[in-house]
Amino acid sequence: MRVQSYLRAGAAALALLAGPTILQAEVTVLGWPGGPEEAALRAVTDIYNGKAEVAAENKVDLLFTSREGFFDKLQVDLAAGSTAFDVNLIATYSIGKYAPFMEPVILSEEAKKVFGDTVLKTMQYDGQQFGVPTDLSLHFLYYRKDLIDALMADDAAKTKYAEIAQKYLGEALQPKMPEDWTWRDFAANALYFSQSVNPDSPTRYGTVIQMKNLLFNMMVFHSWPRSYGANWMDDAGNVTVDSEAFRTALEMAKMLYDAGATPADSASYEYAEANAAFSSGQVAAMVQWNAAATELMTAQPTTGTFAPPAGPDGRFTHIHGLGLGINKASDNKEGAGAFLAWLSGEEAALAYAKAGGAPGLASETAAKVAADRPDLVQAGDYASNYGFVMNGGTSANALGIYEAQAKEFTGFWAGTQDLDTTMKNITASMTELLKK
Amino acid sequence: MKPNRTVENAVLASPMVLFLLAMLGFPVILSLVYGFSETRFEALTSPTFNGLDNFRQVMADTSFWQAAWFSLRFGVITAILQCTLGLFLAVYLAPLIRRHSWMVAVLIIPMVVAPAMIGLMYRLVLHEFVGPLPHYLFQWFGASPAFLNGANVFKTVVVAETLQWTPFAFVLFLTAYQAIPTEMREAATVDGTRPWRMFWKIELPLMMPTLFAAVFVRFIDGFRVFDTIYTLVGPGPGGATTSMSIYIYETFLRRGEIGKAMAAAILLFLSAFLVLAVAQHLLRRRG
Repeated sequence: MRVQSYLRAGAAALALLAGPTILQAEVTVLGWPGGPEEAALRAVTDIYNGKAEVAAENKVDLLFTSREGFFDKLQVDLAAGSTAFDVNLIATYSIGKYAPFMEPVILSEEAKKVFGDTVLKTMQYDGQQFGVPTDLSLHFLYYRKDLIDALMADDAAKTKYAEIAQKYLGEALQPKMPEDWTWRDFAANALYFSQSVNPDSPTRYGTVIQMKNLLFNMMVFHSWPRSYGANWMDDAGNVTVDSEAFRTALEMAKMLYDAGATPADSASYEYAEANAAFSSGQVAAMVQWNAAATELMTAQPTTGTFAPPAGPDGRFTHIHGLGLGINKASDNKEGAGAFLAWLSGEEAALAYAKAGGAPGLASETAAKVAADRPDLVQAGDYASNYGFVMNGGTSANALGIYEAQAKEFTGFWAGTQDLDTTMKNITASMTELLKK
Repeated sequence: MKPNRTVENAVLASPMVLFLLAMLGFPVILSLVYGFSETRFEALTSPTFNGLDNFRQVMADTSFWQAAWFSLRFGVITAILQCTLGLFLAVYLAPLIRRHSWMVAVLIIPMVVAPAMIGLMYRLVLHEFVGPLPHYLFQWFGASPAFLNGANVFKTVVVAETLQWTPFAFVLFLTAYQAIPTEMREAATVDGTRPWRMFWKIELPLMMPTLFAAVFVRFIDGFRVFDTIYTLVGPGPGGATTSMSIYIYETFLRRGEIGKAMAAAILLFLSAFLVLAVAQHLLRRRG
């Protein structure tokens, strides 16, 4: 009798413990924490949960950790078969890594019209759709209009500009409006507005290049060599990183660093530090993520934006998407799929945009939020016209390749190794990573 | 009849032993298994035994040796600096602390801050455009050194680590210094021994075991440094600030080379163990 009592008590205790789990059979979404992405996801989740047709067990609950080491933690969770979340964040550069732990998603019929093929492709791996694109990241050229206007109106300044360009670039370039800049114009402008080169410069530095040994900084840098024709691999799968295009861009960046056109501490700069430098008013122009637009234009109201400078092969901007996909170990794949299908429709995309997110919308859809979010029109335009993903940029080891490039390229910029050694090392690393 | 102490001790110790086995033993065994296997994130539960392949790969990796050299230099330099400064502060401030013991609490504040926070704090403090230090240097001298560029980054991380952990050495030395019997100092003073000679011939020899222990503890901590450096500058330009721990972290999570990372972790453990064994041997010989 006593044993039965103990068993009953034990069962009751277990039921109490399990109770909250049973009641929490909703769809748990692990989102990108902090910033506009979180705010926008919260807003669309509220709309979805408010719909009468969404059953109680399919309501969406949000889960946020921290950005620091987010993808490392996600990798461990997915590999361990965690059921703590049904839907998780993915990014273009990590799809290949996480695809084995995820389920393909079925988009709504509107998705193609809302996002367009280019943006949907940022969430595809091996021909399958693994996520709904939520935010699109690309690069803008940010420049101080007041400084450019003053330069263009001053003949003495133009002469000085040409002298500096002749000395450092071997060509007496004339100042141009940023819409017409090539990377050589960008470099000439950076040198002219640096006090180490031109003591009369109104700013301490002409640009700020993020040179920290960090994979995201390589994405910012890639638009530069790409405009000279760079790619990671050719169509036959051969690694082509040791190219004139990469060499030219790497050497130009180093020349600017050595000339003092970017802060000497740039070797430790990433997104926040570079933004702080530009916001201080001591930097004339920079290439930075589109997400920085509001921050930089608030800090320096005369800031103008355009797509990154052009090269001999044209104008390019790295693009990648953040999105949401289904965890293979999820206990509620049906509910997760339903939420993601709704998220890929126009209602959700417009609400996400209005709440501060940065979805890559096709021009027709972007026009519907143009009054609230003019930057999305510009981003969509640049993504369609100049967006690129390197060959192998969604492979399983894409993150590892960015890491390897960050190590080797920053070593060259900091002067710890020469360019030939850099190219030899990165070719070996990429060959190894791309064959896996 | 005497109680059976052996059984009693075993019973009382068993919860702790079980806890340690679960929390430390299991990860150690798993690391050993992975260290001798080919493992991928997609197949964590089915590693394939590959003998010493991972160790061969680690030994052939120039980045590993670069990280090992960095850790060795960093460990030795920071241990010497922290212990020298800590010893000086302990001896110099001892009379003051005897009267105002609350000063110890103030002096050990850096030690209680999380190392990752120290890294982030310096990242802010040293930033050319928002950091107070470069701001005042620009204001007073018209220029500021680039604390985190390739040429200065090693010195900067050494200073950051030294400022945080000198209080640890200081507390150890202060305790040892205060434990020296007063009669010894009084006798030496009566015999006319000068303060400097008293320090070299009486106080320092008596503090030597503490000095040895402090140097080795600080060396091991410096050798396996991670948080401060990773949050301050990451792996550094060209891997210039990649310590052994950062190398293992990046190999494991960023490059997904689990077996190689575990092999490096085992080598790190063995080297730390070797240093500890040498330290113990030296201490025993002295004792």
